[in-house]
Amino acid sequence: MGRYVIRRLIQAIPVLLGATLLIFCIVFALPGDPIAALFGDKRPDPAIAEILREQYHLNDPLLLQYWYYISGVLFRGDFGVNFADVPVSQIMAGKFQVTLNLALTALVMEAVIGVGLGLWAALRRGRATDTMILASTLLLISVPTLVTGFVLQLILGVKLKQWTGLDIFPVAGTFAGWRSYIVPGFVLAGVSVAYLTRLTRTSLVETLRADYIRTATAKGLSRRRVIGRHGLRNALIPLVTYLGADLGNLMGGAVITETIFNLQGIGNQLFNSVYLREQPVVVGIVTVLVLIYILANLVVDLLYAVLDPRIRYE
Amino acid sequence: MKRTSTDVLPGEGALGDEPLLAVDNLHVEFHTRAGTVRAVNGVSYTVAPGETLAVLGESGSGKSVTAQAIMGILDMPPAVIPKGEIRFKGTDLLKLSEEARTQVRGQRIAMIFQDALSALNPVFTVGWQISEMFRVHRGMSKADAMKKAVELMDRVRIPAARQRVHDYPHQFSGGMRQRIMIAMSIALDPEVLIADEPTTALDVTVQAQIMELLAELQRESQMGLILITHDLGVVADVADKIAVMYAGRIVENAPVYDIYKAPAHPYTKGLLDSIPRVDQKGQDLYAIKGLPPNLLDLPTGCSFHPRCPYRQDNCVTDVPPLYEISGTRGSACHYWREVLDGERQ
Repeated sequence: MGRYVIRRLIQAIPVLLGATLLIFCIVFALPGDPIAALFGDKRPDPAIAEILREQYHLNDPLLLQYWYYISGVLFRGDFGVNFADVPVSQIMAGKFQVTLNLALTALVMEAVIGVGLGLWAALRRGRATDTMILASTLLLISVPTLVTGFVLQLILGVKLKQWTGLDIFPVAGTFAGWRSYIVPGFVLAGVSVAYLTRLTRTSLVETLRADYIRTATAKGLSRRRVIGRHGLRNALIPLVTYLGADLGNLMGGAVITETIFNLQGIGNQLFNSVYLREQPVVVGIVTVLVLIYILANLVVDLLYAVLDPRIRYE
Repeated sequence: MKRTSTDVLPGEGALGDEPLLAVDNLHVEFHTRAGTVRAVNGVSYTVAPGETLAVLGESGSGKSVTAQAIMGILDMPPAVIPKGEIRFKGTDLLKLSEEARTQVRGQRIAMIFQDALSALNPVFTVGWQISEMFRVHRGMSKADAMKKAVELMDRVRIPAARQRVHDYPHQFSGGMRQRIMIAMSIALDPEVLIADEPTTALDVTVQAQIMELLAELQRESQMGLILITHDLGVVADVADKIAVMYAGRIVENAPVYDIYKAPAHPYTKGLLDSIPRVDQKGQDLYAIKGLPPNLLDLPTGCSFHPRCPYRQDNCVTDVPPLYEISGTRGSACHYWREVLDGERQ
């Protein structure tokens, strides 16, 4: 097991390098001159611009620039500074907290609602409840986050307060503590909830057809125990994989949700930095996101072995 | 071991002439989109304590469905039992509540399945799965139940049971897995054990060991054993009597010796003739002509008539009853006398 973890971490290095290089190239290829962008409407003095270019290594070849950057990240944990000389790591720190809160809220909602609805549908397979749950998941998948986000913001954030006078869900921002994350969390989780519901339903229906379920029934166990212990334990395996991999998706997919609800998270920052051509910030954020992806996948793979004894890591 | 579960069967003990288990005119249908599949069409058989009944038939003959109906593990729907009784010590199981039925299942009537790899839960240790019987039905503590599991694994002769009790099903060989399946089924000393093709998935040498084990366990505990198989070779050594099924009906039932000596139904005869024999080496094997019947659309009259070498005109129209040949023997063939005498028409 220990050796497996080490091997997986070593395997992660080329993935990390590849992903950051790719992002580096894409940001590099963006049209426009970052130095010119720095001066806004004014035209920079060519001499000053040249000094700045030299200072930020903008005149060096792309690969050399990449090397300067990645060696700083890997050997010194230094993600560089933006054009205002603020360290990128400092910019990211607070924002990642917000996004992590949001993503975890979404993940918990996804797990509870998705698995719950999926189980309900599976146990009522072919009946009205099942059909209704399936239809509503289809609706959830079809409507873009942009729409659900604004609609829920209007109903739960604005109208609910007008109707009841209670300020339960804030319209935007994080000033209301954990309550600030409920509606955005739900919006972010929306599509994933729908997928997870369907996955749970399929997984349990499939599992309940297995021979060992028949055996469990033949042992004289109650239906509750047959489904709850023998069925669920097996049906959970693919769900854990999905949930783990989805944490990365949720963190990366938070851009729209964070913008709608004005949450100062990583998605918001990423959007602004791309807009401002803040190359070090963009690459820094993506690097950390890639790291989270890799770690989440590693945890999923390890959990897999815990859930399914047939899988062994050598 | 003393039985500690509450007895849910009224009138128990006053057995009289009632056999341990009696299936009486059982019908099972599956309602599917393609139509009604008549899987079991009036099956009757009985098992006495310590007796082994072999139910013989090819795939789709209804032998497993009958067994699942006895266990109460058919998926209903699509399965429906429109007619018939399954009496266990005189009580019709089909009339019991689901709760009462659960009390019988596994504790009084237990079942062994064909493929132990898929029939055992892959994510729990074998010890956990065996001991579950004691924990759930006898309310034992985890540690006590685990001790019981080790005892049972010893009893079915799994080497190093104490260590292997913590292994998972996939870590065992096929024969050992089937032993675990057996250990689990006999955990609570059931009175009837149904073995649904227990050796089909195993090597020939292992098959013999498993059958021997089953026979031995049965001798010790005087269980009634229903052995479902399509393998005539398995049957000969261990069965007391045989019921041959075809298209959801019993076409012949008889003490095992009688059937091997002289079958009284053309289908049984065909099965016996198709066993490879050393003294016929080099010759073509005998095969029953045609295909098994389509259960959605059974042939009129005798279901076997399209494949039968003894067929007469009335076979196409008249459903043969189970003619009584002797007190212990019956054949559902209008021309059982000719078959018995070995005359081919």
